[in-house]
Amino acid sequence: MTAEQAFRFGRADHLIGIAGLPATPAPVGAIVLNAGMVHRVGPFRLHVDLTRRLNAAGYPTLRMDLSTLGDSGASGQNQSHATEVLADVADAMNLLGTHAGCERFVLIGLCAGAANSHTVACVNPRVAGVVFIDGYVYRTFGFNLRHYLPRLLSPVRVLRRVARMARQRRKPEGRAVFEVTVPPRDQVRRNYADMLARGLKLCFIYSGGISEHFNHARQFGEIYGPLARDPGASVHYLAHTDHTYALTADRKLLIDTITDWFADRFPLANRR
Amino acid sequence: MSTRNGADEPIQFGPQSLFGMYCPAAGSTPRGGVLLCAPIGQEQIRGHRLYRQLAHAMAAAGFAVLRFDCYGTGDSPGESLKVSWPQCLADTATAAAELRRRSGCDQLAAYGTRIGGSLALAAAPAAGLARLILWDPILDGAAYVVQLDAWQEWLRKDPGRYPRPRPAADAAGQWLGFAVSPALRHQLLQWRPEPPAVPTVLLQSAEVATQPVPSSFLAAGVQRRTLATPSPWLDPGRLETTVFAPDMVRAACDCLLGTA
Repeated sequence: MTAEQAFRFGRADHLIGIAGLPATPAPVGAIVLNAGMVHRVGPFRLHVDLTRRLNAAGYPTLRMDLSTLGDSGASGQNQSHATEVLADVADAMNLLGTHAGCERFVLIGLCAGAANSHTVACVNPRVAGVVFIDGYVYRTFGFNLRHYLPRLLSPVRVLRRVARMARQRRKPEGRAVFEVTVPPRDQVRRNYADMLARGLKLCFIYSGGISEHFNHARQFGEIYGPLARDPGASVHYLAHTDHTYALTADRKLLIDTITDWFADRFPLANRR
Repeated sequence: MSTRNGADEPIQFGPQSLFGMYCPAAGSTPRGGVLLCAPIGQEQIRGHRLYRQLAHAMAAAGFAVLRFDCYGTGDSPGESLKVSWPQCLADTATAAAELRRRSGCDQLAAYGTRIGGSLALAAAPAAGLARLILWDPILDGAAYVVQLDAWQEWLRKDPGRYPRPRPAADAAGQWLGFAVSPALRHQLLQWRPEPPAVPTVLLQSAEVATQPVPSSFLAAGVQRRTLATPSPWLDPGRLETTVFAPDMVRAACDCLLGTA
């Protein structure tokens, strides 16, 4: 059984995180970043279940709150958001390195967490891999064909769509929890190419909950071209799930996907 | 309101190694201790920020504060499926003992929202809680189960979440995304509160205040305060919206200080 330990840590002693520390040290640990404003337990406690599964497989983990999120305070340093995220994750790596013996790290993030993982993976040499859950995507010609063609051919679907838009217009505040600013596609493509060239392992997982932006596993190749065939990249499309994995079976599927990817890309010697 | 960054301390305590955040009182001698009893499931996640704000506000007012996660919730050990009402009651008593030990305060008040308020109410005798401040507590377990079932049914059909309704089997045995054991379901169905034996204030959101409170509560001297703002808890469309309630935080602190 893996022990979990609560920590206050960081350059200003302002960050809060829960480390899962398996009995045997491991070279690679996982750091799970906040999904939007949800504190470190994650949407529907996803991060708790995920980190405990990874711990059971032998990987040290840290689920943490970035500066000013969850239980973490402000660093008191006058920094840009990106600089603060870089410093927070560096602090997290130092903590997990000290307590679990990890030298390199896999970042895991959903939506805003994926965006913050992206920021760190671009520059931090201790990142060994990233799990992007509903990370950056862009509509493509193929997306538009798959999205609009069936609707044009089905008046019922057009009416259903109009009704759904009307409902969402009446309830705008329940839908904008995880919005992030998306950088230009060419920049993101260059970033991913650079990460893969540096040997990072990248796992891209997309849910059916972002069907207004992504609607087929093939779309990753439509967006990022040859990166989709890079052996360091894995792409998974969990079409029937929602953005935050509200149902238990969907969370299990997501966690299975991530733990299988860990076992494949970061195998631990003599572990199950 | 002071945010007192860095004042609260993550702790693990009790035989279950429960997770908690202890916030010492501002100043040298605490005016008392306050145990914050969280709801469970999605209401706990939605209310996390609110509980942090409450802890900081109460600590700034001179009270030592402990918020904690029951077994199977939040950062505490255990799966969601293992949450049980008797265990939550036992955990609340354990947390009260931990707060007394850390703060040196014997007299404790407790605050709870929704089912967290019900927990504070039910645990008060065993935990030795001297005062209760409850925001929209659940006072009818069976009605709460019916509501949670209806919300789960709404969730699986939510067109903003799924392009077509998910099969009922995919959503079975859960409340708002959390696995629920038959035992917990039965325990909540059976739960009816005894009138509190200690001074108690009910903070009620506008629409909740229109609903009847058990006459035994009124006979026991329970005070009611109505908040001007509507309840953030009753619309499943806000399932993942963080709850902010500055008027409630002020009202709870006023009750604690005896200025309400």
